[in-house]
Amino acid sequence: MPSAPPSAHTVAVLLDDALVTLNRAFGVLRTRNVPIEGLALHPSGTAGESRLTFVLRADAATADRVAQQFHKMMGVRSVMVLANEDSTTEATR
Amino acid sequence: MSEMLSGAEILCRALVDAGVEVIFGYPGGAIMPFYHALPDHPRLRHILVRHEQAAAHAADGYARASGRVGVCVATSGPGATNLVTGLAAAHMDNSPVVAITGQVSRPMIGRDAFQETDIIGITLPITKKNYLVQDVTELAEVVADAMAVAVEGRPGPVLIDVPKDVQNQKIEYGAPRARARGQSRPQTPGAGPGLEDGVRKAARLIAGAERPLLMVGHGVILAQAYAEVRALAEKTGIPVITTLLGISAFPDGHPLHLGMPGMHGEVHVNRAIQHADVIIGIGLRFDDRVTGNTASFAPQARIIHIDLDRAEIGKNVPVAVGIVGDARDITRRLLAAVEPRRCERWLEHIRGFVRTRAESYRGGLSPEAILASIYEASHGDCTIVTDVGQHQMWVAKLYPYQHPNSHITSGGLGAMGFAVPAAMGVHLARPSGTVWAISGDGGFQMNMAEMATMVQEGLPVKMAVFNNGYLGMVRQWQQFFHEKRYSCTPIWSPDYVKLAEAYGIPGYRVGDASELAETVGQANTQPGPALVEFMIEQEANVFPMIPPGGSLSEPIETAPAGATGD
Repeated sequence: MPSAPPSAHTVAVLLDDALVTLNRAFGVLRTRNVPIEGLALHPSGTAGESRLTFVLRADAATADRVAQQFHKMMGVRSVMVLANEDSTTEATR
Repeated sequence: MSEMLSGAEILCRALVDAGVEVIFGYPGGAIMPFYHALPDHPRLRHILVRHEQAAAHAADGYARASGRVGVCVATSGPGATNLVTGLAAAHMDNSPVVAITGQVSRPMIGRDAFQETDIIGITLPITKKNYLVQDVTELAEVVADAMAVAVEGRPGPVLIDVPKDVQNQKIEYGAPRARARGQSRPQTPGAGPGLEDGVRKAARLIAGAERPLLMVGHGVILAQAYAEVRALAEKTGIPVITTLLGISAFPDGHPLHLGMPGMHGEVHVNRAIQHADVIIGIGLRFDDRVTGNTASFAPQARIIHIDLDRAEIGKNVPVAVGIVGDARDITRRLLAAVEPRRCERWLEHIRGFVRTRAESYRGGLSPEAILASIYEASHGDCTIVTDVGQHQMWVAKLYPYQHPNSHITSGGLGAMGFAVPAAMGVHLARPSGTVWAISGDGGFQMNMAEMATMVQEGLPVKMAVFNNGYLGMVRQWQQFFHEKRYSCTPIWSPDYVKLAEAYGIPGYRVGDASELAETVGQANTQPGPALVEFMIEQEANVFPMIPPGGSLSEPIETAPAGATGD
């Protein structure tokens, strides 16, 4: 099945602000061999919650599969995938 | 009413409150407060293993056989790291295990203290969740949360690391809240328009299919969807394939049952996949041992994939319809949506692919004959726990499973040494049933010290050792793919009969098929554990075989030219 050409996707993950949860999230990027181009971690503005944002260059199906791996992770509250170059720039600035 | 309790006492009480009855473990320095408190909680039966790896495998076996959480306990450092293989096996095969480890006291953490290891960091990729309990007031809630996390959704292992000073700390103890604070959890998929739409699309695809197949995996066993899957197969006449971990989800002798697919699947099973126009996959992840080269897997098929884990849909193979949900629930909905039909021409087509092989074995001691003797001795009513290697494939292909969830093996991780300790866990989950642990001479030697555990704890596991003097599956690969260079695969064994006797266990050796019925029958009726060694053909191979990364259409059915033994 032909796959769509890779493009930049920004994935934003809201998750518990706990070291073990953040460690696990970074581990997902590594163990799933996610081709990330940028990574940022900030407080989300909600107490006890962090926002992990990363950019990956992949087709939409791959980006969705990466999002699903985060979605099922304990401590993750929400996952959002943006396929917008402007948003990508904004999120990683 | 509240009372003053230590962390260790709270830990025990929380386990009792969670309904835990059996713990597999091994004491040591950092977990000593827990072991000090344990005798005050007689409801918690502790099984003292001989190596922590066995504790994790036994907890895994207990969990798979009972559907409940299996619990293992170890001390910090080497105790904790010895659990890792067992936890990885439970993670790969979705088995609900909770591991409790002692940790050095909080002021010592990060100072490279004696027996300090970052077991949280080590187990991050092989657990659903893990906790370092830094506050004794959270301990009971953490245990309750861990027990829930292990079983809900897609099951898996959870680890709780408890520093020694937290175990010793005393607090006023009240009933725990249901969940630990501030812990968010992934959403469980539920019914909705997307689900109904998926079921409708799947039913339409099935109605229009000329060569449909049902592929059934471990998810069917976890969801106990046996009756629903059987009803779906019988209503539609669709033939059924069971993956390694799906074996025993569908009766082996059923006219619609084809067998196991993949690397060592029978030719007609793999050919059916390659000719199918619709595949309904329920509770499997289409792993590489099932698909071979995914680029050439089921080239004509549109795949309907039903799985509890959204992340599995489309992960390994492209799907036409993905339905996220519990296998039992979705199969029931699909059953209601499909029209009755038959697939006689398709079944006839598949029967045309069936190959018969005539292989000769020393003393007639074929895998078929050995497994038939175990089946007959146990009247077909036992749980078979296998290790990893050639014997595992023979059992998967040849044992005539009739009862749901009566086949337990380390599928995803493929951990040699699994069978013997996992069988101990299975016995404790099913104390009135018979359990056979079947191993090769390699895997058996990895955890054979657990015979001492069986004797001390009164666990009547029956052990079968397929002795061919080789690490058989690796030797087979060397024969096929590495110029028959048997590098480091010949393996010496002790005298297993004498070894068993040294443990106080009856030991038997079978070298000829004529001895099978009487010897296996005797072992099966022993009140305690028993061991039977089968002196099998040294260079027997498991056929057919799809080369790693190869296509299901191109099986190896005989040994390569110049090779001996077949």
